[in-house]
Amino acid sequence: MNPAPPARSPSDLTAEAAFKDWVRRLVKGAAELEALEAGQIDAVMDAATGSAILLPGAQAALQGSSRLVLSALDALPGEVCVLDSAGTVVMTNKAWRAFVVARAGAGLGVSEGANFLAACRNAGAPERVHAEAVAAGLREVLAGRRKLFRCEYVCQFPGGHCAFTLTIAGIAQDGAVHAVVTRENVTERKRARLARGSGRAKTSRIAAVARAGTPNRLLASLPAKEYERLLAGLELVKLSYGDVLYEPGEQMRYAYFPSDCLVSLLTVVEGHRALEVGLVGREGMVGSRLALGITVSPVRALVQATGMAVRIKSARFLQEFRRSPALQRAAFRFTDALTMQVTQTAACNRFHVVEARLARWLLMTRERLLSGEFHLTHEFLADMLGVRRAGVTAAASALQRQKLIRYQRGIITILDQQGLELAACSCYRHLQVMGLEAAT
Amino acid sequence: MARKPTKAGTADAPVTTVVVMRLYIAGKAPNSVKAIANLKAICRRYLKDGYKLEIVDVCEHPRRALTDGVVVTPSLAKLSPAPASNVIGNLSDTGSVLAALGLHAGAME
Repeated sequence: MNPAPPARSPSDLTAEAAFKDWVRRLVKGAAELEALEAGQIDAVMDAATGSAILLPGAQAALQGSSRLVLSALDALPGEVCVLDSAGTVVMTNKAWRAFVVARAGAGLGVSEGANFLAACRNAGAPERVHAEAVAAGLREVLAGRRKLFRCEYVCQFPGGHCAFTLTIAGIAQDGAVHAVVTRENVTERKRARLARGSGRAKTSRIAAVARAGTPNRLLASLPAKEYERLLAGLELVKLSYGDVLYEPGEQMRYAYFPSDCLVSLLTVVEGHRALEVGLVGREGMVGSRLALGITVSPVRALVQATGMAVRIKSARFLQEFRRSPALQRAAFRFTDALTMQVTQTAACNRFHVVEARLARWLLMTRERLLSGEFHLTHEFLADMLGVRRAGVTAAASALQRQKLIRYQRGIITILDQQGLELAACSCYRHLQVMGLEAAT
Repeated sequence: MARKPTKAGTADAPVTTVVVMRLYIAGKAPNSVKAIANLKAICRRYLKDGYKLEIVDVCEHPRRALTDGVVVTPSLAKLSPAPASNVIGNLSDTGSVLAALGLHAGAME
């Protein structure tokens, strides 16, 4: 009266026999049947469903081996997760799951089913700069443009910080690229080195890592040590389209270093529309006049593309500026570049036709935003170029007719970079030659 | 018994034609893993560099296997030189694999 073990129950035996019968019908050739009887077959092709049917032996072995892989992953001390081609986490190991629980999702602790890219986007302010770099690296890997991406990541949480090395490797799977992310916690190692007395060098290393993550080129050009001193005073902020950072004659409370936002410097002349005289993006800083010892802004600084920036209080900036020769050099170099740009823009606004100026302006914007698509209204462009709205509409239509740009519902897309360069006035090439614009 | 060629035998019989083969397997299933190992051993021993082998995983490319007329895996297809031939199973029987590839162990000695 003992119940039969599950594998030998009568219904199982019937199913097994039926399956064997069905397989025999699929397998017609004598050689195939012979190999089947000898247990040398793993799979049978089923034309009706267009798929391969694994025989029970092969199935058990494959399940066993995937269990083995999962156990092996769990046994690794490092944190591992696997992403599909859309960046969704499909598999994690034990160490990864433990980290997610311990840090409550900070430091890109993403659970299975969640999207890694989305987590990068939603990272908290202190780690935002690193998260952006990781997202960019991951996109490169998933697009198949690079095999491996590695960076250091510092994650802060109440009561401390932890540093880890993040490695993203692409794996080809079913014609798409998936990625395996490994994270090695290096906090203890760093701490141990600090304790051994190489403290300064280590903090510099962390600063160097943080600096490498910043997209702002002026900050990235600073030596680690000097960047480190500045870092304590830096604060990450989101600047939104239309925000006014300074008005003419106002005290500049902060200096700003844009990451992926764009700030226009406008001269306001009574009785006229404001006119753009300068454009600052990730190559420089807003408030560079502080470097000349002047704390009052001569222009209106208006955010014209939403994005991130870091800012520092003016007093703090001046304090660091005095003791950092590298920061002085970088700030002076940028101030000079900005003066050149303003000089050129002044001549340009006087002599060149709107269409050529619009082309120049779009190229300069593209270079600063690293994007060929931006959101702009005619109204806004009219301000930027100091012309009436109708003038902008005509110029934009002309560029569109030549298929250099597309302008739809306030979104401008650059279609032909080289063509646009030809259409731009000589000022763009002049700034390129002067090294103030990236040469293409 | 006549399967094992002497070292001199293989050296004196250089392979001039390249044998092109395609092996259909099902992932890391046991017979598939064995078939790959057996075939590679045979190639190393009898063909040296004179072969081209493509391995098709039917779990990843089932349509391709169906188009090629594959019914079961592992399955080895010799594509050239003519005539084309097939071997089914885990390729543990070296003699039948050699026969299908047009290499007769006896003739090589």
